[in-house]
This record gives sequence, C-alpha cells and structure tokens, in this order.
Amino acid sequence: MAANEEALMWVEKYRPKTLDEVVGLNDIVESIKAFMKNPKTMPHLMLAGIPGTGKTTIALAIARTLYGANWRNFTLELNASDERGIDTVRERIKDFSRYSRGSFGEIPFSLIILDECDQMTGPAQTALRRIMETSSRTSRFILICNQSSKIIEPIQSRCAIFRFSRLDKQAMKEHLQCIAKKENITLLPEAADKIVDFSEGDLRHAINALQTASAYKDGCVDDKTVALVIGEASPSQVQKMIRKALYGDFIESRKTMYEIMGSFGFSGSEIIRQIQREIFKMSDLTPEQKAELSNIIGDYDYRLTQGANSDIQLSALLAQFGKFGKNVEETYAAK
Amino acid sequence: MVLNKKAFKLPRVEKDKFVLLMHLGCDYNRDQGVFSIKSYNNIEKLMETISGILDNEVIFLQSCIRCGKDFACGDCKYDELCTTKNLPFGCVCPQCLRDRKHFEQYIEKF
Amino acid sequence: MQRNDLLWVEKYRPKKIEDIIGNEEAKASFVEWLKTKRKSKKAVLLYGPPGVGKTALVNAAAREFSFTIIEMNASDTRSEKAINAVAKPATSYVALDNFSTNQTKGKGNLLFLDEVDGIAGNEDRGGVSAIIKIVEEALTPVIMAANDPDVEKLRPLKKVCLLIRFQQIRIPLVIALLQKICLLEHVKAEFEALERIAQNSRGDVRSAINDLQSLSEENHSLTLQDTAMLSSRNKDISMDDTLRGFFSSKSIAEVSSLLSYSSVDYDDFLLSVSDNLPRRYTNPAELAAAYDFVSQADVFRGRIGTEYWHLLKYFFNNLSQAAAVNPQSYKPFEFISPPIRIITLFWTKGKRTMLDGICGKIGAKCHVSHSKAKHDFVPFVKMLLQKTKNSFLIAWFEFSPEEVDFLVKMNRF
Repeated sequence: MAANEEALMWVEKYRPKTLDEVVGLNDIVESIKAFMKNPKTMPHLMLAGIPGTGKTTIALAIARTLYGANWRNFTLELNASDERGIDTVRERIKDFSRYSRGSFGEIPFSLIILDECDQMTGPAQTALRRIMETSSRTSRFILICNQSSKIIEPIQSRCAIFRFSRLDKQAMKEHLQCIAKKENITLLPEAADKIVDFSEGDLRHAINALQTASAYKDGCVDDKTVALVIGEASPSQVQKMIRKALYGDFIESRKTMYEIMGSFGFSGSEIIRQIQREIFKMSDLTPEQKAELSNIIGDYDYRLTQGANSDIQLSALLAQFGKFGKNVEETYAAK
Repeated sequence: MVLNKKAFKLPRVEKDKFVLLMHLGCDYNRDQGVFSIKSYNNIEKLMETISGILDNEVIFLQSCIRCGKDFACGDCKYDELCTTKNLPFGCVCPQCLRDRKHFEQYIEKF
Repeated sequence: MQRNDLLWVEKYRPKKIEDIIGNEEAKASFVEWLKTKRKSKKAVLLYGPPGVGKTALVNAAAREFSFTIIEMNASDTRSEKAINAVAKPATSYVALDNFSTNQTKGKGNLLFLDEVDGIAGNEDRGGVSAIIKIVEEALTPVIMAANDPDVEKLRPLKKVCLLIRFQQIRIPLVIALLQKICLLEHVKAEFEALERIAQNSRGDVRSAINDLQSLSEENHSLTLQDTAMLSSRNKDISMDDTLRGFFSSKSIAEVSSLLSYSSVDYDDFLLSVSDNLPRRYTNPAELAAAYDFVSQADVFRGRIGTEYWHLLKYFFNNLSQAAAVNPQSYKPFEFISPPIRIITLFWTKGKRTMLDGICGKIGAKCHVSHSKAKHDFVPFVKMLLQKTKNSFLIAWFEFSPEEVDFLVKMNRF
C-alpha cells in the first residue's frame, strides 16, 4: 500500500479502471463499446441516474479506453454545481481547448466530462448547448446528471442517453465482500446488511462506511461498529429538529437549527435537502403526510433561493411543521 | 392687493421684466392688455416679481370647490401652516368646511 | 373577528381625474398635454412632494383615455440596456386614433418612468441619455415623475420635458377628503381630529388616509384624544418602540403607519421580528401563519437587493400582515433585541474557506462536487482521521496540517 499515487480512499482504490472491469452494467457497457468501435463518430453521451450507480466510473473508464495512461491530458472534468455560472464553465472549456493537445492518434477530439448538469438553470443549459455546438469538432461531452428530465430537450436530443438504475442489495453486498476480501478484513453479514440499508443504493456511500468501520475495529467489521459509524455520520440532528418542530416545540427546534447551521456551516438549501431526505425516512408518517410535507418543503426551498435570510426561511418552514404536526400527533395516537 | 388670476393688469414694464414674467409662467393678451397665469411651476417667484412691480404685496383669491365662491386666505385658520398661501389654487372655504349641510349637499353629488 | 384587510389608500384610490384633490392647474396642464398629442414637448415631468397625486393622475388619465401604462419604476436598473429593452417597444406603437372617437379599445401605450430622480449617476450607465433618446424617438406619450427635479443629473432631461409642478395638498382639501371617507366608512369623527391628521400629514394625502384608518378603524370613531399618538410619529422611533408597537398593533393599517414612520434599519428589524415571533404567537397555527408572511417579506427583501426599492411596499405589506394575524391573542412579552446571528458568530469566513478548501481537495481526488464531498465524504474522512492520523491518507489528499486539525476538531452535526 505505500506509493503516493495509489488511492487511499477505497472508493477510488477499487473503482474499475476499464470498461471490462465494471460489474453489473453489461447492457450499458456493451452499447458504449459499440460506439467506441469507431471513435470518430462517437456522439455526446448523457449518463443519468441516482448517485453512486457508476456514472462517473463509466465516464472515466471511457477516458482511459480512448487515451490510455495519459488520459488526464485529454480530459477535462467539470462539476456544474462547483462552477459559479455558465461563463466560468465556458472559460474553463476554452482554456482547456487551448492548452490541451486536441487530438490523440486516431481520436480527433478531447473529452469533457460535465457532472451535475441538472443543477444548471435553463438559460445556462441553453448556453451550454451552444458551447457543445461550437466545440463539437474538437470535443466530446459526457454529461452526467441525476434526472435527465431536468435537462433541456435540445441537449438531450444531441446525446446518446444511458440510464443507470439503483443497484440491488445483493449486488451491493457482493461488491462490499469483494473489497473486504482484498483488504483482508472480515465483513459479517449483518454488518453488510446494515451498510447496504443505510446507503440506499449509493455504492460510494457504502464503501465509505465500510472503510471507516474497518478503521474503528481492526480485522473484523460487525454490525455494532457499523451502527457507531453510521450514527456519527448520519444527520441525527436534522431528525431531532424535524421532530421537535412537528410536535410543536418551535423554540427548541429552531435552537437545533442554529446548532446545525452554526457548527457545520451547512447552507439553508443543504439543510432543506437533508430535511426532505429525513422526512421520507420517517416511519411514523403516512405516505400522504410525507407528500404534503414535501410540498411545503418545496415551497420554502424556492423561497430560500429568492429570499435574503435563509435562517428566516428555515424558521418559517419549521413553523409550518408545527401547524402540520397536530395531525401527526393525532394519527400517531390513533395507531 | 388682490388680483384675479385669469386676468390682471400691470403698469408698463421694461422688456427685461416682461420677459421674466413670461418665463415665470405668465401669458399676455395684447388685445385686452391683460396678463394671466399659464403655468404654476414657478408661482412663488412669479408672485414675488409681481409684488415687486406693483410695490405692494399681492394675493390671489381662492375658489371654494364646494360652494364656488372666492375667498381670501386671511380668513383661513391654517394659513400659518399652508405652503401655498395666497396662491390661486382651489380650496375649501371655512364655512363649507364646518357646515354640515353644505357638506351633505356636496356629498350628494357623488 | 372583524378585520379590514383592505387599506383605505387602496380602496379610495382615485379612479377618475376629477377625483384627485388639489393641483387643479397641474391636472389641467397634464390633460391638455395629452390631448394635444404633445405638440409642444414630447415628454412631461411631473414633480413635487410625495403623496400629492402624481402617480394617481397618471393612472386615472390612462384609465379615462384608455391608455396602457408601461411602467419602469423607481431604481429598477435603469441602465441603457434595461431602458431600451422595455421602453423602446413600449413607445414605438401608436394607435391611430388616440383621442377623438369614443372607441373603447386600447389606444396605445404610455411610458411612465416613476421616481426618475432615483436614477443614480454611475450605476445607471447611460440611463439619463437613454431616456432622452427614447423621448426623442417616441411615438407615444412619455411621462416622468420625480420628487426633486433639481438634481444635477436630471438637467439634460428637463430640456426635453414639459414640467408640471405639484404642490402639497392644502389642509382644508385634505380635511374635506377625510370627511368624505369617514362618511363612506361610517366613521364618526370629530372635526378637530381630522384637522389634526391633516395638519400632521403636511399635504401628503396618502399618509393622511393611512393615519385616519389606523386611528379609527377599530371603533369606527375618532376623537381628538385618539390623535395624540400622531405627534410622536414625526420623531424617529427606536427599534424597541417599533418592535413593541409592531407586535401589539391591532390592524394592518396601524402597522403600516408605524413602519412608515419608524427609522429602524429594515434588515435588523426583519431579523428581530423573526427572533421574537414565537414569543408573540404561542399557538402553532398562528405562528405558522405569521411566519408565512415574514417569509414572504424576506423574499421581497431578497428581490429588492440593493436596487429594486419600489418593491419595498410589498416587504412592508407582508410584515404588516405578520403582525396582525390575531390581534386578540396579544400578551406583553420580553423581547430579544438586538437580533441573534448565531450563524455568523460560529461560522466565520475563515472557517468556511477552510471547509471549502478541504471539499475541493476531496472532490478532486474522488471525482465529486464540493457539495457531495461535504455531505458524503467529510463525515467519513473526519472519522478516519480521528481514529488514526493516517499519514498516507493525508498525503494522498494533500491536506495541510491546519486542514487536518480542522477536520478532526469539527463538531458532529
């Protein structure tokens, strides 16, 4: 394990490097291989699906297949949510085209991998389409997103779209066991189950949990260790804040909110996203209640983007929970 | 000295003063030889100028929007607070303001 | 619970030109200008103190003569670009028969630039000259309004406009208007009380009507005694007084009036309101309703930013409604003031930058965005480093010693 370049995070260490090493995505891999038979006619690609299902892995594998060991010289990796706007994206692509060697042997283009492009606004996507057009001689784009429906039609029509579905639990467990074996640790079945449940189909999440758990207990990962790790990592404060709000204790709920914002620096929209996730996990809410709460959350999510003070918007959201919560108490009691 | 805003006479003035009067919003009818006020944008300055010409303080009468009669600002109890005192604008005469009967007649019109 | 949601300034907004009190001469000049198809000057500038009928006249005239108003309001970005985007198309269409017939169909556009003295010098890059150009090329009436036309930057503008001055509305006229409203609202008011309101308003009809409403709405009566409150309105009201008045107010109009006279900083006030709201409304349903309004006020504050001040009325409108959700449930309470900004206390810029840097390094090595790094990786990396200061891991990520320290010491969330 020593060399500096060898990946130390297991998500990277065990990431398949070539298309053939990828397990479980046969259809996609076969189609892509077909496209790459004649690289000159390879279209732009769109990889769509929930997080942790192999999109980035495939994109990077394509880069390696096309360009070999020096693939980094011909590949630009961008993340739409990190860039400040479409103008910076355009700048970075321009700079990249200027400084990279445009073609590699048979392959007349370089690769631009743009992740999280469903986070881009409509106008930004329109601009992106133009960028794709003007650089189509020298670049191919691989667009990665969670929801292809958020991508405007003109871009979709220019791409070959591949959909990545949630990994099934068995497949995930096999992955984890495979890694555990290579790392010389024992992964107990209950522990594996717990990890898989916690990660909700996101393999990256699962591998991180495994790696952290193994650091806590050398040699053997049991479900107690996993529980400890998950407990540390999962946003229990958010659940606490939500529950207090639903049960009408606004002031305590808001105190928890300030703690979350204060000690972790999460932005208002990040917290709202966590709230959405937590609501869906809560087993004492009916599906109808979850849907209704989700609508309220969506409303305030939008206001957050427009408003001046995110703590005010979050407080207002918690207050709406307080009003809603009356119903929760009643149904809970009725059970 | 009370003037009628629609038509008032002034003694003969030099060209400069005449031009100034026009500039400040006056109009002059050559046939009848009377001045009238065309624009109220500079009314204060205009009044000052006219007062200067006549060597006498000039006031205009107000017309009451309720009863229609003309009255002088001097009768009005708010004249200390009023920023448009003695200027020929519409107003409400003290009687109409106080008088309930007139008030109700006025309201009938709506 | 009887609560009048409609502000009287809205309800009694003049619909016809003749309903606008005062400034008869200004009204006449304006109408004549419109009628003669602006033969003298292509644009008109209405100027004078606030609340005397400039905007009301434009609206009433548009209504009466069937024009459509295209408005570019106070301190909207009035850069050349923005002006051309809106004003050019607005003024290039003209209906064939503006005035003479009885056609009820729309007779074309009026471009209305309110609060034109709000055009700042540099921010509005070329704003004033763009307006002049529009005026020169316009086929439809261009109307401007300002409080103070003597600002230097408007000088070139004045050359192309017909100037029409509006004066403060005289006290007897204001009283007469208040009398009329009292009659229509079935309010029994002492003459001296109306007198007091009119005197206090300094010729601003809008604030006179607001004062009338807030003082008389609850009991539908008004005595001179009730107007004693008015004298304090001219003085600046402090934050505590404003908060107190805000939370204990009994109607929207009362709050509106209070806020318009108070000189508190809007942003601090908004935060203080949010801090204190749960103390005012202990009933969850009321709290939710009030917070909904505060949230909308905040949205408007966000939209105002540093330039769109004409949206301020919606900001105040929503705040006012937050105060008046249920006047009956008011019980005096202890305020929190100044506003709590725990977030800024804990989370300094330095810390944010540090975390950002860490997320960037994680993102680069693991092919994820900053945000994913923060959510999905940081908790685990933190734990990994806490358990064993794995030097290989640190080297791989290229973390600095400060960054490692930061990660390890970060609180659980």
